[in-house]
Amino acid sequence: MALRYVLKRVVACVLMALAATLVVFLVAHTVPADPVLAQLGDKASANPETVARFRTRWGLDRPLWQQYAIFLAGLARGDLGESIASRRPVMDDVRQYAPATIELSTLAAFLTALVGVPLGVLAAVRRDRLADHLVRLLCLFGVSAPTFWLAFLALALFYGGLEIAPSPGRLDAGAVPPPHVTGLFLADSLLARNWATFRAALAHMILPAVVLAASTVGLVTRTTRASLLETLGQDYVRTARAKGVAEALVVRRHALRNALLPVVTLGGLAYAELLAGTVLTETIFSWPGLGRYTYQSAVALDFPAILGMTFLVAAVYLVMSLIVDLSYVVLDPRVVRR
Amino acid sequence: MPTARPIPSSTRPTRFGTLLLVLLAALAGARPSPVTAAGKTTLVLGIDISDSRTFDPARQFEYSPPTTMRAAYETLVTMTPGDYVHVKPLLAKSWKLVDGGKAWQFQLREGVKFASGNPLTAEDVKFSFERLINVKDQPAEIAENIASVEVVDPLTVKLVMADKSQPLLNILSSVTFAVYDSKTVKAQGGTSGKDAEKADKATAWLDQHSAGTGPYVLTSWVRNSELVLERNKGYWRAPAAFERVVIRHSSDSAAQLLALRRGDLDAAFNLTPDQLNGLGRDASLRIVSTTSLDFLYMTVTSGAELNKALGTRAARQALAHAIDYDGIIKGLMAGQATRPATFIPVGLDGSTEALTKEIGYREDLPLAKKLLTEAGLAGGFSFKLTYAKAAIAGTSYDVVAQKIQSDLARVGITAELDPMDQTTLRTQYKEGKSQSVLTFWNPDAPEPYLWAAASIQRVAKRVRWTVPKELTDLVTRAGGEPDPAKQAGYYREYQKALVDQANYIMLVQPVFRVATSRTVSDFDLTAAGWVVDLYDVKPAE
Repeated sequence: MALRYVLKRVVACVLMALAATLVVFLVAHTVPADPVLAQLGDKASANPETVARFRTRWGLDRPLWQQYAIFLAGLARGDLGESIASRRPVMDDVRQYAPATIELSTLAAFLTALVGVPLGVLAAVRRDRLADHLVRLLCLFGVSAPTFWLAFLALALFYGGLEIAPSPGRLDAGAVPPPHVTGLFLADSLLARNWATFRAALAHMILPAVVLAASTVGLVTRTTRASLLETLGQDYVRTARAKGVAEALVVRRHALRNALLPVVTLGGLAYAELLAGTVLTETIFSWPGLGRYTYQSAVALDFPAILGMTFLVAAVYLVMSLIVDLSYVVLDPRVVRR
Repeated sequence: MPTARPIPSSTRPTRFGTLLLVLLAALAGARPSPVTAAGKTTLVLGIDISDSRTFDPARQFEYSPPTTMRAAYETLVTMTPGDYVHVKPLLAKSWKLVDGGKAWQFQLREGVKFASGNPLTAEDVKFSFERLINVKDQPAEIAENIASVEVVDPLTVKLVMADKSQPLLNILSSVTFAVYDSKTVKAQGGTSGKDAEKADKATAWLDQHSAGTGPYVLTSWVRNSELVLERNKGYWRAPAAFERVVIRHSSDSAAQLLALRRGDLDAAFNLTPDQLNGLGRDASLRIVSTTSLDFLYMTVTSGAELNKALGTRAARQALAHAIDYDGIIKGLMAGQATRPATFIPVGLDGSTEALTKEIGYREDLPLAKKLLTEAGLAGGFSFKLTYAKAAIAGTSYDVVAQKIQSDLARVGITAELDPMDQTTLRTQYKEGKSQSVLTFWNPDAPEPYLWAAASIQRVAKRVRWTVPKELTDLVTRAGGEPDPAKQAGYYREYQKALVDQANYIMLVQPVFRVATSRTVSDFDLTAAGWVVDLYDVKPAE
């Protein structure tokens, strides 16, 4: 039964990801702009021969349905096509930009969980007291502060002012990246046992990760607080307290575990959002990630890259929600019985 | 509701605290050591290189790569900063017109070696230019006047022109005409044959390496991140001053400024006018500048079917005389700009600031009103002004458009602002569907004919102007004229005609400004295409 459920979910995921690419494909093609003009210079775009050659080269002269069919056929072979702007396979672009994003958003997600859940618990158990108010104010700030502003403020303060943070970018200028294995600098430098590079990579990552985490921490804290408050009002919590179980244990073992279910859902989606890219943070911290790549592809009407990224982003979201659903089995065994 | 009691401190927050401390320690530990001027071996430049898509000379056609290209590759002839009229020798030590003016013959310098150690020969020039033409990528467009390349002897090469009435020499100073090591490029899958469009496979290698004679060698490029150049040890002149040049990608000007101030960058290329003006107080920095060959201009259609008023010349002229040009340059560009009379930027043969004063438009409201009355539009008229969400030298088009709108309102002309994205605008504009567009022009190579020809050919179509044959002939005559003084005379006549026609209104020709640290010197900017010749830059004494 469980296997069938998982299979059904996976098939649904793939179909939904494809549907997303179809929608984006159609929308991108209804824009009244010619992709050739985003790629060719003034002189070249005035030469009909050059333009025709360009259209043929990138399949833009084919009917729409054929262009989409070519994308699907490629996808079936695991090939996302070739980017018009970078002139190399979209997969190569993704392989280059994804590790920077994965590394950064994973650290941000880690920070989020590390900070958001305890803060939420603190706010819940100290409901309506000073700590609660402070935490809620902090959340409000984190959620509502514009990212570009926060990013620049952090950079100006810690890099420009206090001079404790390193320069924007993944490493210092001209620093040699660790030998490529995964593309994740933290992992690769560990594999190479290069501690200096590991430290440098981590140091470069902290500030942007904190900025990214600022908004998600707010969300996670709020959800933890609300959910924990609800759980603390449940009958079984009252029963536990009546039995004389220590309050810390009541909160941690009886209430928190159940209260975390909505937090996991939200956390999964927040992580997917971080992975999907964060253009502004990447811009300010010169972070060579997927966010900027996707943005550049979109403004240049780079159809293969747009479609490829749509598919990947949709897949990431769907896989994350799948993982979240499956994790319920562990967190709340009742889900399986239901 | 039960009263909640505080949770004991032995749980998570402490472990979290330890982790945070570890992270902070890592952050503090990686603080870079300060850069000292003495013994400076690496030059670090902060540039927005997000437009870079290749470093293959036969394919590269974007805005930022020429600075890198020019450090790794050299051309037959070049231009020195500030002089875009007279070409100077580089790989060629002399040249002359031969075969009755149908071909240019170049005498190559002896003893020049590529970074690979292979000697430079005429064969390499032939291979490079033929590959450029046959790969048929964008840069091939500006090589259209090369009909064939002939090797006369190992150090003599002849370029036969397709049309001897069209210019070639100045264009050869562009990095597009980089000469590369044919042996190395062939070994990496390069070919210059007729089938090069499909058969050539050298681009991937050329994106990560260079095969030129330049003072530096490209050793790595990570897209949207950084690229590294290393000193070419066998360079034919004195070796370059730095062991390494790192070009650090940064598309945020505020972050560039912070990095420059911290000493992590030696130069910041993309600062805004406000940021540059705020640098005056900082003694450790200096601003270097040069007038660019770029310009921001406004096109006005002649198509009465798009806008009845603009279809009359007097109405277009009235519009041109109602703009406060000095206000734009002083108020919006912080005075860091000039303005050409029409479609040839100041600095090229035939275009000077004096000429702009003499024949260009000037703000003259009574004249504008008189012209409006002449056109039967005493009550004014309205039109749509389209522009992209972009900026010139850090000043957004939005601001310029608003200024024009308020200027024109003074004579009763209403500009309806119509901002849109770049690609949509180009699509609409190229099809001649725009009434008026605020847009940008930057050079392929410092040859005035490229501007003049565009203005009466493809750009004229976009503004629905049917160019008279006499004017076309005049431009052809100017293009083929070898004597700069005579050529300037022809171009002067051409510019007068364009000003009278009033389809193009030049607004701003910005000054390039780069902020550099005082730890480096000889940072001489050029407008010829490559911003700065990195070979000139040295550590400060």
